[in-house]
Amino acid sequence: MPVISPNAFAPPAANASGPVSAALRERVRQLERAHSAQRMGRETVPLGLPEIDRLLPDGGLLAGALHEVEAGPAPSGRVAAHDGAALGFTAFLLSRLGPGTLLWCRQPAGADAPLYAPAIAAWFDPARLLMVTARREEDLFWAMEEGLRTPGIAAVVGETRAADPTAGRRLSLAAEKNGVPALLLRPQPAPPQSVCTTRWRIASAPSSVAPAPSPDLVQARWQVELRRNRFGLPSVEETPSWLLEWNDETRRLAVVSQAQHGSAGAPQRQRLVG
Amino acid sequence: MRLADSRALLPDLVTAPVDPQADRRLIEILASWCDRYTPWVAIDPLGDAVAVEDTDPCSAGGFGGDAGLLLDVTGCGHLFGQGSDKGEAGERALLADLTERLSRHDFACRAAMADTAGAAWALARFAEKQADLFCPAKGQRDALAVLPVDGLRLDKPILETFLKLGLRRIGDLYSLPRAPLARRFGDQPLTRLDQALGRIDEPIEPRRPPPAFRTRLAFAEPIGRPEDIAAATSRLLAALCRQFEQASVGARQLEIALYRVDGSVDRTAIGTSRPNRDAPKLMNLFEEKLGELDPGFGVELVILSAPEVEEWTGSQDALPEAAMRNPLAEDGTIDLADRLAIRLGKDNVVRLLPRDSHIPERVQTTAPISDPPAPEGAWARLASMKGPRPTRLLQRPELVEIMAAMPDDPPRQFVWLRHAHKVVKVEGPERIADEWWRPRPGGKVMPANIVPPVRDYYRVEDDDGGRFWLFRDGPMNAAKWFLHGFCA
Repeated sequence: MPVISPNAFAPPAANASGPVSAALRERVRQLERAHSAQRMGRETVPLGLPEIDRLLPDGGLLAGALHEVEAGPAPSGRVAAHDGAALGFTAFLLSRLGPGTLLWCRQPAGADAPLYAPAIAAWFDPARLLMVTARREEDLFWAMEEGLRTPGIAAVVGETRAADPTAGRRLSLAAEKNGVPALLLRPQPAPPQSVCTTRWRIASAPSSVAPAPSPDLVQARWQVELRRNRFGLPSVEETPSWLLEWNDETRRLAVVSQAQHGSAGAPQRQRLVG
Repeated sequence: MRLADSRALLPDLVTAPVDPQADRRLIEILASWCDRYTPWVAIDPLGDAVAVEDTDPCSAGGFGGDAGLLLDVTGCGHLFGQGSDKGEAGERALLADLTERLSRHDFACRAAMADTAGAAWALARFAEKQADLFCPAKGQRDALAVLPVDGLRLDKPILETFLKLGLRRIGDLYSLPRAPLARRFGDQPLTRLDQALGRIDEPIEPRRPPPAFRTRLAFAEPIGRPEDIAAATSRLLAALCRQFEQASVGARQLEIALYRVDGSVDRTAIGTSRPNRDAPKLMNLFEEKLGELDPGFGVELVILSAPEVEEWTGSQDALPEAAMRNPLAEDGTIDLADRLAIRLGKDNVVRLLPRDSHIPERVQTTAPISDPPAPEGAWARLASMKGPRPTRLLQRPELVEIMAAMPDDPPRQFVWLRHAHKVVKVEGPERIADEWWRPRPGGKVMPANIVPPVRDYYRVEDDDGGRFWLFRDGPMNAAKWFLHGFCA
């Protein structure tokens, strides 16, 4: 499948067909697997978006691992005004997981805007949430770790600006040991020194250009970058990036073809997943 | 006698100002110190109607001559006595222990033990010989006979009349006919006499409600290391949980008290969201709290009590179907919530419940974990009845400045936190009227002839793709715009 990179100076496509490169890739994969024996046998959760799953180890998000979702700057380069899109993407990731309690820890900061369950209900039942407020970051990380160790917890989410590599490593280990995913939701990009398995940067993108008289906001668009992909497959681009569209009415997230992004008239080819 | 006169007589008289509050505090401290002997400790206010119970109360009186403590030590003696001698030896040992420990802390005290609070009160204050302080069971009549009538806790006028009439000893009243006595002096003398002799009950009202379940562990040598305290706690928990099993209850609240060698007491408590009697789990909860306890110079006694218990509702394992239906009912989650609540506070570990309301900020409420969760799908049903909602809702809507082509139009631009956001797309309005049936903050219901305020909500997208939830509030000509949420 041809992939059109927005970056014309990207390195040559690694998945260019050819027996040599295919063999090399297989070899690299084996080396990587041997190198990361700890990953073996761990469960993965497919996102249901083939374009993204293709790059993830075993075609999905590693369950027992730490993942970070951060709100990226707006397309214009300005600091994101809010992390509503990142929260939406986090909720989408959680919706892919199995049943069980979701421990949601947050550290209130500035204007207090907690998640709003009527909107979250589009992804999962908010009755599953156990909401925890921690004033100090060490309390937040402690609560997350406790949650990871508890049976019956499907996932642990931490909403914080704090980036503590030691805490990140501890969370990562606890997640690995118990096979429960830990997610850090950051309202701003954090310094990239943490030990997370994947780091996603989400920015709101202008929604599809609809005819002027009836502007429609039903379909929110997110620019999603996979900035770190441990154990994953190498990608064509340095940081693989997709434009996703969330449809409020059909409750579906789909990858919008990059080539058609912004072209108003073209019929939209998209993949629908639930 | 006035202070000046006293000083004239005794020039190097030491004086100190009266500080009733400090006295009261000291008595409180002593009372909690006495919890080591029995949970039934009351502070004895002088002259007030005090307590009598037909049991074995003991009164440690003598602080400044008026304050005192009443301890109901029924059934506590065996903890102190040795050998098989039921009752008396143990009680004597208890009394000796109490007096000895208090004098070690430099308190001059007199403690007496008798079957009734009244008798103990009188003995502690008026007994002449040390040996008389312990009144054997049913011996109060003889013991009291030789004491002055002041020992009956009577009002001053009655006391003065008694003295004028030559009734000096309590024993003098025994032979008097009751009816004329009551007619002349009212009920008080007879009531007091009957209470002291154990003919009628005098309940002791404890300072703190006595817990139904309690275990104690005393140490010959004071302990101080955190590990030792933890080990003691887990031993006590195991014992307490056995008591729970026998009584078929579970703890909702547990309190641990460390009695330190310097006489002070340090306590801490844990709470659970549902009745619990699993010692290892409870120990887990305590671990977080034990660090807060300060053993001081050493701990000589640890008491674990359960001030709040509830009927045991059975293990969740027995109801797998219910646990499946109810996502938070799983043992692990509730135990986790309890553990988190102990460190972070009960209000900070909650679940979300939907509320039937039009006002967006009223829709989502929080509830403690002990409350049942929202039924499955309740949130989805609620969300399906409303228009689009933001993923984050500002607790307090924030005022924004807007620019619009016409006053009635949706905004073209809004300024929030000094950033101008150019509005590219608008969806709305969704009109949400105030709930007129709900009382205002002032307590008044809105009069029917006034149009309730409405909010017009718009979902807008700025030129950066950021999506916001704004509303217009107030009348058209003086409308204010607020930012209320952030959309996905």
